[in-house]
Amino acid sequence: MPAAISKAAAIVGAAEANEIGYSKTPKTSLQLHIEAIKNVSEQTGIPISRIDGVFSAGWSSELAEHLGLHPKYIDTTSVGGCSFEMHVHHALCAIHAGVIDVALVSHGESGWSARANRGRGTGGMRGAGDPWSPGNQMTMAYGFSGAPSNYSHAMTRHNYRYGTTPEDFANIAVVTRQWAGLNPRAVMHSKETHPEGGPISVETVQNSRMISWPLTLLHVCLVTDHGGAVLITSPEIARSLKTKPVWIAGAGENMSHSNMIEMGDFTATSAAASAAAAYKMAGMGPEDMEMAMIYDSFTVTAGITAEMLGLAPRGEGFRLWKDGHAAPGGRLPINTNGGGLSFNHSGMYGMQLLVEAYRQLSGTAEDGGFSGLPGKQTKARSCVVNGTGGSLSTTGTLVLVSD
Amino acid sequence: MPYDKPIPDPSPHTKPFWDGAKEGKLMLPRCTNCNRVHWYPRLICPFCHARELEWIEGSGEGRIHTFAVQHRAMGAWANETPFVTAYIDLNEGDRMATVLRGVDPNKPETIKIGAKVKVEFEPANEDVHIPFWRVVE
Ligand SMILES: [Zn+2]
Repeated sequence: MPAAISKAAAIVGAAEANEIGYSKTPKTSLQLHIEAIKNVSEQTGIPISRIDGVFSAGWSSELAEHLGLHPKYIDTTSVGGCSFEMHVHHALCAIHAGVIDVALVSHGESGWSARANRGRGTGGMRGAGDPWSPGNQMTMAYGFSGAPSNYSHAMTRHNYRYGTTPEDFANIAVVTRQWAGLNPRAVMHSKETHPEGGPISVETVQNSRMISWPLTLLHVCLVTDHGGAVLITSPEIARSLKTKPVWIAGAGENMSHSNMIEMGDFTATSAAASAAAAYKMAGMGPEDMEMAMIYDSFTVTAGITAEMLGLAPRGEGFRLWKDGHAAPGGRLPINTNGGGLSFNHSGMYGMQLLVEAYRQLSGTAEDGGFSGLPGKQTKARSCVVNGTGGSLSTTGTLVLVSD
Repeated sequence: MPYDKPIPDPSPHTKPFWDGAKEGKLMLPRCTNCNRVHWYPRLICPFCHARELEWIEGSGEGRIHTFAVQHRAMGAWANETPFVTAYIDLNEGDRMATVLRGVDPNKPETIKIGAKVKVEFEPANEDVHIPFWRVVE
């Protein structure tokens, strides 16, 4: 049975910045935020002035000031790419408690432009932090260089424990690219959007440049710009709008570690716990999910997370992709936007998951009826969304459903 | 040639570890309440939350838990690619990060999870000798 808080709020709109991906003119993170916020306000008809709760990964006071808001609820949870799923969880709680009526969850991150701007205008996670942090002291000497250099260790362990291979996981990149082919905003949509875009094979993935063995380049997500925003309201307001509500039936969050040195099981994440909480709140289970949006920072992230969400047995998550179930036309579409691997990944990808889940469940995803591209819009009325942050550290899981 | 890769900055909290490293000893924090060794060094026991912690000299032995081969790296590590990073299960319990020695980064299939490793220390400067682990079987 669903908990009392289940469906106490709905996502009523989801929009992106005017330009995402590789911006022609370098953009600041703030610009990406503001464009997306304006767009979601217009989409839903909710004036920005009606927002009374602001949720973002560290930006909430700056955004509220920029927009001239005096919000009653300010949340800046910033624990990596899953922060946005956590924001939705927190907004659900705040609306259920009667503290606020209209929550804004916002993301702006110039992952691409920051390079062109030589580091200025960034808006992601803060850097390595305190040199006296004992965790940093005991890992900083060993040449780990960013997320790929860590996540590769999880693939090695998964291969060892379950007899899987990098080729098994390469299927995740191949299928995810098929979805990107149906999304005109995907960076790797086609040769027109990127010289290396368009369909790929397991061989293409395995033969791409080695980054951190066993991860080659095409096992690794993109680095792009992105801005996105969603609005979440009480049921009364949701029913009064021109946009369709997508109900937050379940939400949960958890973490297993911060520094990878503390990751107990390299083939598991806290998504098992955050999903258990979300399913319980919703009174639903993995068997009820008609699609999934899973943070695919790396192929191995998506494969392991599918296992944690109960969508596949331990050690067999990759099969959802390899056997075609996750592909366009499959029984359980996964990462229908083309994923962090082929659509867009700005550093923290949780917002991209939310925008696509909203579009799919509200029936407004790119499709023959909307932008001349058949096949991307699914019939799904339920979706499990899972963000993963840090080094397979933190997770936020949502169960979203439409009427 | 001076050591040109990142050098940890010892803090008062971790000084016993770095003092031990200078003498070739792998010092490990242990809780006197639950007797468990933990890594990295905490201000409170991560298992039972007691504050009574002591430093013991570890065996300097362990096994490979998992590993990866870095083909891309930042700073001076970029000059040493490819190199093998790993997480080591200590004989005393819990886990350390390292760069593995005694392995061929161009033949990852010859590196075995579970293989025995021993610690060795490389002087980075007068105060900091950095532990690295070598495969010994
Ligand atoms: Zn203890």
